[in-house]
Amino acid sequence: MRHLFLPFLVVVLVVLALYPIAGTGYGVRFMLQLFMWIALAQSWNLISGLTGYVSFGHIAFFGMGAYTAGILIAKLGWPWLLASLAGGLGAVVLALVIGFPCLRLKGPYFAIAMLGLNEVLRVAVSYFERLTGGGSGLSLPALYASVPIYYAMGLTAVAVTGLAYVIVTSRFGLRLMTIREDEVAAESMGIDTFRYKLYAFLLSAVAPGIVGGLAARDQSYIEPISVFPLIMTITMIVMVLFGGKGTIWGPVLGAVLLFTLQEMIWARFIYLHQLLFGAIIITVVLLMPRGILGVLQQKYNLPRTI
Amino acid sequence: MLGQVVISGLLAGALYSMVALGLGLIFGVMRVLNVSHGPLLMLGAYTTFWLFHWLGLNPYLSLVVSMPVLFVVGMVLQRLFVSRVVDAPELSTLLLTFGISIALVNLAQLAFTADLRSVEYLTGSFVLGPFAFSKSRVIACAFAIVITAAAFLFLKATRLGKAIRAVSQSREVAQVCGIDVGRIHLLAFGIGSALAAAGGTLVAVMVAIQPEMGQVYTFKSFLVIVLGGAGNYPGALLGGLLLGLIEQISSLFLTTQVNEAVAYVLLVLVLLVRPTGLLRGRAS
Repeated sequence: MRHLFLPFLVVVLVVLALYPIAGTGYGVRFMLQLFMWIALAQSWNLISGLTGYVSFGHIAFFGMGAYTAGILIAKLGWPWLLASLAGGLGAVVLALVIGFPCLRLKGPYFAIAMLGLNEVLRVAVSYFERLTGGGSGLSLPALYASVPIYYAMGLTAVAVTGLAYVIVTSRFGLRLMTIREDEVAAESMGIDTFRYKLYAFLLSAVAPGIVGGLAARDQSYIEPISVFPLIMTITMIVMVLFGGKGTIWGPVLGAVLLFTLQEMIWARFIYLHQLLFGAIIITVVLLMPRGILGVLQQKYNLPRTI
Repeated sequence: MLGQVVISGLLAGALYSMVALGLGLIFGVMRVLNVSHGPLLMLGAYTTFWLFHWLGLNPYLSLVVSMPVLFVVGMVLQRLFVSRVVDAPELSTLLLTFGISIALVNLAQLAFTADLRSVEYLTGSFVLGPFAFSKSRVIACAFAIVITAAAFLFLKATRLGKAIRAVSQSREVAQVCGIDVGRIHLLAFGIGSALAAAGGTLVAVMVAIQPEMGQVYTFKSFLVIVLGGAGNYPGALLGGLLLGLIEQISSLFLTTQVNEAVAYVLLVLVLLVRPTGLLRGRAS
């Protein structure tokens, strides 16, 4: 089985790379959003899946990236690719600013602080109207670039998954997981827990910032409520939980399954889809908190690097 | 001007204290942050609205219906869902109660539609010297004080209340003393939900009723128990009054839109500067 995995992965990547040639407009946009969710879920997993610190406002980095890139594109005429990378940088700066104080908080307090910060940011963006367009939003000059954005999103998703692999298989990753299992023990073993949590936090902000910028370009219009919604944070968390948190492929699996489900099935039940989402959250938390891969790992004694 | 603001702040604060005491009770006893607290309040408000709409029942009288109904709803939620994750990491409890929260909001949307409803019962104001206060706020405050006092009396003076306080101090020791911890959890969630319902009934007369009206109260209650110190029940009172005051005072200087962020900024600041709360609560 295991020796088949790498060839399989290569085939999937090649097919995805060639897909825009044959794919429909809808198909390309569907995949592009799927890549975005993979990048988001994977990033949340880096901080919360590995260290156990629940970032309940992770979408703040997405919003930060979206607004950084949006402003650079709309006001300064930057090319979108460069602006999106700047969005990633903006998100890291934000993570640095809030990481220093917040990562000292433990347990539910960290989660609430992140939740609060996301709301503060949302209101702040609405307030600085001159720069951000305020509550009425920010429009970007029209541009049809689904296919290039497809590749940029795809590359980001691949890169952050690669990053997850490198981290989980490294000593750095081990230190993070030690913090998750027992922070006091980690500290007494000589791990500078604050420093490693901060590193993980910064790394987890990069991809949301970049895909935030790309999403802003893709949609050509952003507003505070569309880029800082709590429900998006919850969605990425549920994706990770569903696939298997703390694993490399769990967030990918969770994003693919949940996003497909969302698009294929929920679109038919417009009035019920939020309710169904609530039911899915409750089911996942109660029945499979370790996720699909977590269950498989336990059952078949698989390595944690899956 | 300032006197008016201070009194309005205290009026609003008493209501916050009562609602947050419900959240604080659940958090203190189980270490579960109940994200669905606001939606439970919303259900309380709808109970009052329908009783008023169909039966013409006095909205304040409907407290005797909304509180017991939500007490039962709370216990059912605890039995079916929350009891399974009491000992799980905070991720599970936050997500689970969030799931319950969106399920409740959307059930309400399906059942009651998203139309704005209102209970037109008490309008006008009391005028007292230079001050004027809307009648519904004064009465809501009075009820909130009575209900909060009753809750405290229950916690202080009854054996069951003592058991609740014991479990929130140390579950293990309480268990060793022969307290049925599962039952106390059930009771705490029931009482917490009933306090939220009381809040819903009292605000039903003041604000528009719609399925998403509750979320704001969830956040505000978080802030109140953080302000007062988690697990510190008198702290919740102080926290509620403080929040009411701060919101009213800041509304003098800030636009409505920015004022909305005051609670969040305060939440983050207090967490950073003094995570154990203003009165010393229990750090996690």
